[in-house]
Amino acid sequence: MATLKQKEQITGWLFVAPFLVSLTLFFLYAAGRTLFFSFTDFDLFKAPAFVGFGNYLRLLSDQLFLTALTNSLSFAVLVTISQTFLALLLAIQVNRAVKGRGVVRTIFYLPSIMSSAAMTLIFLWLFQREGLMTQLVQFVVNNRWYLLVFVGVWVATQLALVLNARRKYEGVSFGDPFFLVFGLFLALLVSFGLSLARVLPVYEEQFLISWLNTQAKFLFMPQTLWSVALMNIFTTVPTLMLLFLAGLQTVPTSLYEAAEIDGANGFQRFRDITIPALAPVTFAVVTLGIIGTLQMFDQVAILGDAAPLQSRITLAFYIYANAFPEGAASRIGMSSAAAVILGVLTLIVVYLQRAFGVKDTVN
Amino acid sequence: MTNSLKLLLAGASALAMTAAAQAETVRIAGWGGAEVAIVNGLLTDVLAEDLKAADIQVTYEPVDGDFSQFIINGLSAGTAPDLFYTDIFWSRSVFAPGQADPVPGDTSAFAPNLVEAFTYDGKVLALPKDFNTLALFYNKDIFDDAGVEYPTDSETWTSLQDKLVAVHTALPDVQGFCVVPDYARFATFALSTGWEPFNAEGKTVLDDNFKRAFAQYTGMIDAGAAVAAADTGQGWTGGCLVNEISAVAIEGAWMLGGIKDSAPNMNYGVTRLPKDETSGQSGNLIFTVGWAVNANSAVKDSAHKLAELLTSEKAQQWVLEQGLALPSRSSLAETDWMKGDAPEQITNRTVFAGLEDGNVEPFFFGDLGGAWMEPINTAINSVILGEADVDTAIATAQARFDELQAN
Repeated sequence: MATLKQKEQITGWLFVAPFLVSLTLFFLYAAGRTLFFSFTDFDLFKAPAFVGFGNYLRLLSDQLFLTALTNSLSFAVLVTISQTFLALLLAIQVNRAVKGRGVVRTIFYLPSIMSSAAMTLIFLWLFQREGLMTQLVQFVVNNRWYLLVFVGVWVATQLALVLNARRKYEGVSFGDPFFLVFGLFLALLVSFGLSLARVLPVYEEQFLISWLNTQAKFLFMPQTLWSVALMNIFTTVPTLMLLFLAGLQTVPTSLYEAAEIDGANGFQRFRDITIPALAPVTFAVVTLGIIGTLQMFDQVAILGDAAPLQSRITLAFYIYANAFPEGAASRIGMSSAAAVILGVLTLIVVYLQRAFGVKDTVN
Repeated sequence: MTNSLKLLLAGASALAMTAAAQAETVRIAGWGGAEVAIVNGLLTDVLAEDLKAADIQVTYEPVDGDFSQFIINGLSAGTAPDLFYTDIFWSRSVFAPGQADPVPGDTSAFAPNLVEAFTYDGKVLALPKDFNTLALFYNKDIFDDAGVEYPTDSETWTSLQDKLVAVHTALPDVQGFCVVPDYARFATFALSTGWEPFNAEGKTVLDDNFKRAFAQYTGMIDAGAAVAAADTGQGWTGGCLVNEISAVAIEGAWMLGGIKDSAPNMNYGVTRLPKDETSGQSGNLIFTVGWAVNANSAVKDSAHKLAELLTSEKAQQWVLEQGLALPSRSSLAETDWMKGDAPEQITNRTVFAGLEDGNVEPFFFGDLGGAWMEPINTAINSVILGEADVDTAIATAQARFDELQAN
């Protein structure tokens, strides 16, 4: 007769069994076979021929693989850092709003719901050489004086009003909404008035910016991938924002109140209470971010001919392009070797970010 | 009475079962879209009697999405259909590993270019079912509005460019042509100069003829005769034509489907592709699809028989008269339908005549497959974007070819 503990164990295993079966089949077996194929020369039809480390050496001398590797790494670093910061900022904003928090949260979350393919197609249209994004940049550059005046007047009015109020009252924040709206109207009035009087110069430059369809590199990454990064951040920040939001709501308000009594200002409260309390969530967000960005594939595939290959290729797409080359025999050996390298790379990066201080326990 | 009735019924059902047991089921597959209607029409309408007579049951499984991936995976896993489409573009990846069964019958009735395209290692491994070449489609109304004469069969690339510049000058909102960074269209320029994609040693050399064509093609934008397709949001030259963005397009007979869908009232004309001044010839590509029998099929004989039926004269005549595809049989080039004056008939006649252009190459690139086109496409793109000049772009492409073809 099985003891209660044994019965519980058996029940536990039974519950986990379906997941274990699919894990074994689709992951362990598949990973094992990929590792095996990475040491062979296989084209899906003739028997695999053992070539030892030949595939790995060929990969290291393949220019396209090295390009894909640098692209993937730079993309991962840029997007993970940006989306973590932005998600945290957004979460703090949404957490603060008392009225209409649900509506704000929903609106901010919308980009994440849309399918990746649909978003890519829309961005393809937005990012045309003479598309909306270029026109936006054109507008900003051509009307830069008026925009400067607008921002300057707004900031100046806000500062003036807040400092003035602080002489008489306590606890007036720099972002006071009433003053903000008043400042906005004043700034609009001033800028429009000046533009009607044609006081400042407005330029007529025509821009042709190739956001996607270009071989140019900007800093360490192809320009195309900067545009794809923009789109990626736009669609993944909302999901990560939700994670941070959940984390923020578990921080006890008593900690904040105690800190306020002790004289800590907003920034100090943020740095010494919020951030440490969010450590486990940050760990999750950064890890998910690294894994997701290193394996980015769908946007590259959908872009297709809209951008040159070396400007958009990532490791995941390199693996796919070698497994199913257009009109040529499959190079399963190279593809598997690249897949093994991608897997090992992901593991290394996740362990590194853990070692460098993103802890997964609350201090 | 009851007993004999039972006996009769038993006998009848036994006969039926043996008849059904004799009929072999052949699984066939092709890609989705317009093809589905053609194949279904053939199977249920045109060839119904022949199929019954040959005792063949057909299960048709059209595939939406990447067909070559589906077939390679299927062949590798042993689940591929018995008879399937094979596009010349990726045929090597099926023929080289011996996955196609050689065609047993006589193939002399088919156009020799097409049979040659599907021959590997001396054996014919697929029956060509249809083909396409490229022709010059133009919007008659735009030319009328601009007061420019229609393109004719005897244009050269330069005279065509002059006409397109005239159109654009008269109608600034309309472009002459949409330039795509795609060898599948640029080849009409390149091949017309007499340049060959592979020299005697099988290597690709971008010589002066190639450079002349390259400079002409990419120079059309600066000359005011064309615009980069990407800048108009269109992915193909036909898209520009049906949306009245451009006056001409270089496409095959598939353009008819595009016009029917997007611009059914367009007043269009078709002519042969322009010639190169120096060589006096035009260039063209042959796109062709054939039926290949799975080498590991259990019903090979029935599959071969079915392939013959699907490419029989009766079947191809029917498909031709629907205006759906061009027949691969030489005899059908001279039918009355082809001599008609309706736009579809003129289109098909012109595309068919493309087979006889001076410099025609199949749309096929040996072991490299689609990767062969990439250096040329990148070169065209970098010149169109203004990121490189003609000489630098060609030099980069040549270096890439040397790298790709090193082994």
